[in-house]
Amino acid sequence: MPGRTPVLSVRGLSVRFLMPGGRRVAAVTDAHFDVAAGECLALIGESGCGKSVLASALLGLLPANARTAGRALLGDLDLLAADERTLSRTVRGRLVGLVPQSPAAHLTPVRTVRSQTQETVSALTGVRGRAAVRAAARAAADRAAFPADHLDRYPHELSGGLAQRAATALALVGDAPLLLADEPTTGLDRALVDRTVDELRRHVDAPDAAGGTGRGLLMITHDLAAAERVADRVAVMYAGRLVELADAASFFGTPGPRHPYSRGLLQALPDRAFAPVPGMPPELGDLPEGCAFAPRCPRASAACAALPATVGGLACHHPLPGDDGEAPSPTASSTEDIRA
Amino acid sequence: MLELRSVTAGYARKAPVVHGVSLAVAPGEAVGLLGPSGCGKSTLARVAALLHRPDAGTLVLDGEPVRRWRHRAPRAQRTAVGVVFQQPRLSADPRLRLADLIAEPLRATGRREEAPRRVPELAAAVGLTRDLLGRRPHEVSDGQLQRACLARALVLRPRWLICDEMTAMLDASTTAALVAAVEDYRAATGAGLLAVGHDHTLLHRWCDRTVHWDDLSDAVAGEEGLVTPSPVTDGS
Amino acid sequence: MTCDAPAAEPTVWRSYGTRRRSTRAVRVRVCAALVAVTVLAVLLVPPLAQLDQQAVDLAAKLRPPSWAHPFGTDDLGRDLLLRCVYGLRVSLLVGLVAALVAAVVGTAVGAAAGALGGWADRAVMRVVDTLSSVPHLLLGIFVVALFRPGVVPVAVSVASTHWLSTARIVRAEVLSLRSRPYIDAAVSGGASRRRVAVRHLLPAVAPQAAIAATLMVPHAMWHESALSFLGLGLPAHMASLGNLVQGARGSLLAGHWWPTLFPGLFIIVPTLAVAGLAGAWRERLNPRRRSELML
Repeated sequence: MPGRTPVLSVRGLSVRFLMPGGRRVAAVTDAHFDVAAGECLALIGESGCGKSVLASALLGLLPANARTAGRALLGDLDLLAADERTLSRTVRGRLVGLVPQSPAAHLTPVRTVRSQTQETVSALTGVRGRAAVRAAARAAADRAAFPADHLDRYPHELSGGLAQRAATALALVGDAPLLLADEPTTGLDRALVDRTVDELRRHVDAPDAAGGTGRGLLMITHDLAAAERVADRVAVMYAGRLVELADAASFFGTPGPRHPYSRGLLQALPDRAFAPVPGMPPELGDLPEGCAFAPRCPRASAACAALPATVGGLACHHPLPGDDGEAPSPTASSTEDIRA
Repeated sequence: MLELRSVTAGYARKAPVVHGVSLAVAPGEAVGLLGPSGCGKSTLARVAALLHRPDAGTLVLDGEPVRRWRHRAPRAQRTAVGVVFQQPRLSADPRLRLADLIAEPLRATGRREEAPRRVPELAAAVGLTRDLLGRRPHEVSDGQLQRACLARALVLRPRWLICDEMTAMLDASTTAALVAAVEDYRAATGAGLLAVGHDHTLLHRWCDRTVHWDDLSDAVAGEEGLVTPSPVTDGS
Repeated sequence: MTCDAPAAEPTVWRSYGTRRRSTRAVRVRVCAALVAVTVLAVLLVPPLAQLDQQAVDLAAKLRPPSWAHPFGTDDLGRDLLLRCVYGLRVSLLVGLVAALVAAVVGTAVGAAAGALGGWADRAVMRVVDTLSSVPHLLLGIFVVALFRPGVVPVAVSVASTHWLSTARIVRAEVLSLRSRPYIDAAVSGGASRRRVAVRHLLPAVAPQAAIAATLMVPHAMWHESALSFLGLGLPAHMASLGNLVQGARGSLLAGHWWPTLFPGLFIIVPTLAVAGLAGAWRERLNPRRRSELML
């Protein structure tokens, strides 16, 4: 997004897992993207494509057998190089708010929503004193549209939607400039999905404490309808690589996605062709030399044996026609969205 | 016919989650049951699969009323209904390789000699490769595991198939692939389908007709914000 | 800066959480080494040693540790190192047998209670609760009192008081597994009650039961030592660790510390090592750790 300062800027992020027997699993390879303030970037892809690993890498929550490379700059701080102390004291909650996948599991089962919110308020903000903390917790719940009369309930007494709001309230307490939502709508029904993502959108647009331009939201999801509803831009991940980074309006509308994989994913929706992408994604531990999608791709040719360069956010030798009706040459100028 | 007649069911006597629900699926028919999260539709699906004894009401399967449930139900009646659940991770025995997972019903019913033929056949039908069949559940993705769970449900050639939120955790492409596999099976065998879910678009596209939970029962357990805790329909 | 060119495989790899992993690894290695030394000593020393552990040498009684007798000698001039190894042998045997019996009985009872449910479960668990409320040692003393002293009564006594915890653990595990959809799927696939128990429930609880049994070995050894120390366990001439500590009480008062210290260490160190290993094993089985790669 030109004119907006990126909240998060990821450059060449790669994650490898060292498996027993010396095998290396390429979970994420060379990811480049920005998330601007007041913007929602939806990271979409099939399960097992590496998108959750990317989220874990940004939060420093990778297991011990993981290795990372590249940079993920949040202001001046490189999330990938930060030590655990920095991550826990200044990043999680304060700079990055996490909206979890299963909110009911994210909340402590033996304590009420109020007590957890108050604890988060005193841990993350400078608010001190019983009455002040109480008021701040109520305000936090209010911001996430969590009803005040449910504050004294335990997580198991909440419906899925309310549990999601409670978890969102906790994520918002630290007033973090970046929200990271990892599959926030899995298992929710459509009405709840819509409400959840609308609320996330509201938090993106709401001005932050400093009266700035709002928060950045990186939403990781396999739910294309949810992504369409909330996202400004869409990043499509396949076999650990970002294959397409596009404007949401043109991606879901016309001219549509340009990468054959993105096209296939959209066409699998029940309100479109409802036809699956043939075959299955490759193993991240055993990726082909060239384009990983080539074996499933109707447009594949001999050229696909070589890894395609990322041009204008698109990594494909044979992209589908875009706005101008032709495939861009490497000199095309629409690359600002992945440049710093 | 698979007929549920004024079924009342739940986990605590005093607080049933399903109240007097009636629903019928004709042979070869695909019925989509729509309802919000936590409304009790998963419990109804378990009753229809003979996995949960209702407190009141009857289930009539191909003209035969069901009198016994779970292990006590006659094997022929139990295996006439194949069932696929929402969460593949919880639906697969973590110790079994996918090939054994798919073959397990054959072994349990004393037809293990069919396994070498049926397993590759079904693996192809649901889109699993030979390499994946040798793996255990924690070595495959959710989508791949759900494919294996569908193959397991089909291995005994059930006349009825119950898919309880089968695709809720899955991406669009895997969803389309699994639905296509179910439809191929139904086209070949004429099996009836009860697909339970919350996605209108999906069930309208998939099924011959859809019914809404609220039209089946007059009372629904759980008000907004406060649901009755139910140990088994967890996550739905 | 441009991102368009496909970057070469990045070279600067950063790793995570190595320190925590290495301390755990060191702990596990130390425990494993101690257990290995114990087992080797128990298996190899008696056949290799030229000395007779019962050889009495009154001229050399209560000698402090020296090159000839690294652990010193007891009040009858017997070599304490040899006595300790023999004692460990007996204690370990009793511990292993008792733990095995307790694990098998506990698993069977717990699995049956959990799988059957209803009144059977309630009845069994009330019995378990009642037995658990009686102090173990008291119950153990009662059992040994019924027999002539020997290895078998002591093993039975220890086993009869230790299957209770295994039964509890296994029952809880079975209860939590019973409501899993994969059990439903097995039932729907035509599996009988027996098959569900044998193919799906027992293998799932086996690791928990095995850990419980391993943790029981040190517990049983302590129990055996306590019984012997009270003079109710093994006959006094058998060099069990409890007997050794018991026999050394008199000399301790006279200022001879070694006949108490070394058998004491032989009770404490191997049992802690076994418990440490079992703890690490349990941590490994934690499903969140089982798969290091979570996509």
